[in-house]
Amino acid sequence: MSYTLIGRIQSRVVSALPALIVALALQRWWAIELVALMLALGLLLDVAVYDRVLGYQPGWLAVPLGAFELALVYGAMRWLDLMAPLRMSFALFGLAWVSAQLFGHALFPRLRLEYGEAGGELGRVGALTAAAIAVVVLGGLGAAYAVLPPTVHLHGTIQGPIVIRHAQTLVGGVVKGGILVRADHVTLKNVTVVGGENGIDVENSQHVMLDGVRVLGVSMDGIHVRRSSVMIDDCKIASPKGPWVQGIDISFSMDKQMSMVNGCTIVGTREGIVTHMTMVDVTHNHIGATTLRGITMGEMSMGTIRHNDVLGALGVGIICLDHSECDIDHNTVAGTRTDPTGDASRAGVAIEAHYFAKAKVSKNTVLASPGGVAAFDQATLTR
Amino acid sequence: MRCAIAGSGLAALATYATLRHAGVAPEEIAVFGTHEDPLDLWRTRASSIRQRRMRSESDGHLAPASFPGLAVREALRRGSATPLLRSVSNRYHPSVEDFLAHGDEVRVRSGWERSFVQRRITRVRAVGGGFELDGEGPFRHVLLATGHPGLAKPDEHPNAVHAYEPHEYASKVAIVGAGMAAATEWLNALDAGAEVISVRRREPVRRPLNVPRPLFSKRGLATFHSAAAERRAATLRELSTPSYPPGRAWDEPLRDERFRVQSTTSGAEQVIVATGFKQGFWHDPLLADLVAEHDLPAQGRWIVLDPDSTVPSLTDDSRTLSIAGVAGQWAFPAADTIAGAKYAARAFRRRVCRTR
Repeated sequence: MSYTLIGRIQSRVVSALPALIVALALQRWWAIELVALMLALGLLLDVAVYDRVLGYQPGWLAVPLGAFELALVYGAMRWLDLMAPLRMSFALFGLAWVSAQLFGHALFPRLRLEYGEAGGELGRVGALTAAAIAVVVLGGLGAAYAVLPPTVHLHGTIQGPIVIRHAQTLVGGVVKGGILVRADHVTLKNVTVVGGENGIDVENSQHVMLDGVRVLGVSMDGIHVRRSSVMIDDCKIASPKGPWVQGIDISFSMDKQMSMVNGCTIVGTREGIVTHMTMVDVTHNHIGATTLRGITMGEMSMGTIRHNDVLGALGVGIICLDHSECDIDHNTVAGTRTDPTGDASRAGVAIEAHYFAKAKVSKNTVLASPGGVAAFDQATLTR
Repeated sequence: MRCAIAGSGLAALATYATLRHAGVAPEEIAVFGTHEDPLDLWRTRASSIRQRRMRSESDGHLAPASFPGLAVREALRRGSATPLLRSVSNRYHPSVEDFLAHGDEVRVRSGWERSFVQRRITRVRAVGGGFELDGEGPFRHVLLATGHPGLAKPDEHPNAVHAYEPHEYASKVAIVGAGMAAATEWLNALDAGAEVISVRRREPVRRPLNVPRPLFSKRGLATFHSAAAERRAATLRELSTPSYPPGRAWDEPLRDERFRVQSTTSGAEQVIVATGFKQGFWHDPLLADLVAEHDLPAQGRWIVLDPDSTVPSLTDDSRTLSIAGVAGQWAFPAADTIAGAKYAARAFRRRVCRTR
């Protein structure tokens, strides 16, 4: 097909209709933002590259161009911090790509006989449809922007505790005495918390994002989450004030949306990451020198523990505990030390299933951990 | 009656099917021609030259909408994705058999017989309210699809058989020409066990389709249409250079020692001229008369047309005179292809439907 520039633009925009309908049906801002991003990048490529380079575009070229655009969209999502679930995003992109093929090869030529010879231009009806789609996408983007929570930039050291009762984004600064989150759609970005009982305390709040937070010198939990759903990314928790401090504790959130802890570094706490009755993914974290356990998925929790490093834990590295169901894979557990209490379940066990828990383990690396991988108290461990 | 089509070949059928697809009733259309079966002449020529595959691709068929194309139909029939994969990589060329079978379906489905009148039209006259065709009418909208004006036979080979005429092969055959027909004949004659002498004035151009792909769409056509008349004629002359597709299927048989290129036909028992068709509207009596009678502008061998294949001085809001097929090249350089026939047909449909 030899597209004209207008033909490319009209075909692309109208072909986005199924993806846009799905995005609207999902009722998630990220979905509309993603469709807008796909369209914006595609149109930019149409104008700046494709129209100039591709005098004629054979059908097979849709495959490499699709892969190229997917890579660009993914990069742009990361760059723009678009908070979109990856699988759903790929599915939406896939839908848009397949729609473009079906529309371009079948639907458009069927509905508009001149489609090919018009260089992909869709005539008056097509132009109106494209304009309507553009208006809906821009309207959606505008609405998403209008309901964006306000962003508050903190400078220097603030005496806390700070209580957040409305959706907002808090950026930067050092807060002494802790932050209490009591609202949905709160984001803490690059905030450092020093001291307090719980560094960051999230309760009854959904869609909370903790991105790049640092928590130091707390006396209870670094991050304490109850009946909430959180995404914690790239956090650092260290210098606990006392022997009972837990790094991250997410509990009693089974009826909430899934939480996620990714890319955190936690050192010297009693437990690194612990969950109770929660659905959670614990991935790509680095946990060192804990005195009770490195990662605990306990009390009927469900989730994955994947690609974590647990080093020098006392007693147990990773445990799936008390009727929980855990997928434990691709972790590295090294130097787990034997607890001198003499309890066999704490004898330097790298990965453990305990008390009716069900753990699936695969492709983990276990080093210098005398207890190895083991199940206790009627727990099952499948490999 | 609103519309008339003068001609009964592929372009006429494509136009008729397109009008029917737009909802124009058979009673509103008259088709004047010499062949009740619009595929007849083409079938004879294809059979003469033993053509097995089309040069056109999946959408080179006579139905109004390009989808589903012949690749889709073949894929469904065979339960195989291969035709589709070949199509997206521009390597699908439907068989002549499939093309003709589908053309026959289009003919039957469109109700062609209900509009067909067996009569050769020799004269078109602009009159109030449209055009008269040999005194019939008036018709508000007329499309002329008179086809190629006859086979071109070089004077220096008076006893030669033309590639498009039924023929067999002698044991030593000279084939004059360097286009698609000539290339097909080289392979045919070799396949029949003959020695083949290729006589050519120039080295053949290797091109997948008759014209470069951008010229099949508005992208390339916009430049072509905006060019000055002389430049446009030069482009058409350049595009009429004989060509055939690249590919091993064409090249490998020619490595046989029974094939050679010579400047003359000397030594050959049989001469086959694969020199295409007569070129120039004046070879067609109807077009020659039309141009002379209405003083239509022409550039070289082409009648000057608007980009929508209409004759500008005889077309306005109330009437249309379009030219499809090879004589419509001024509007669409590949007018002598299926795509060209459809280009004119669709433009004609737009005018017919607009003034319903």
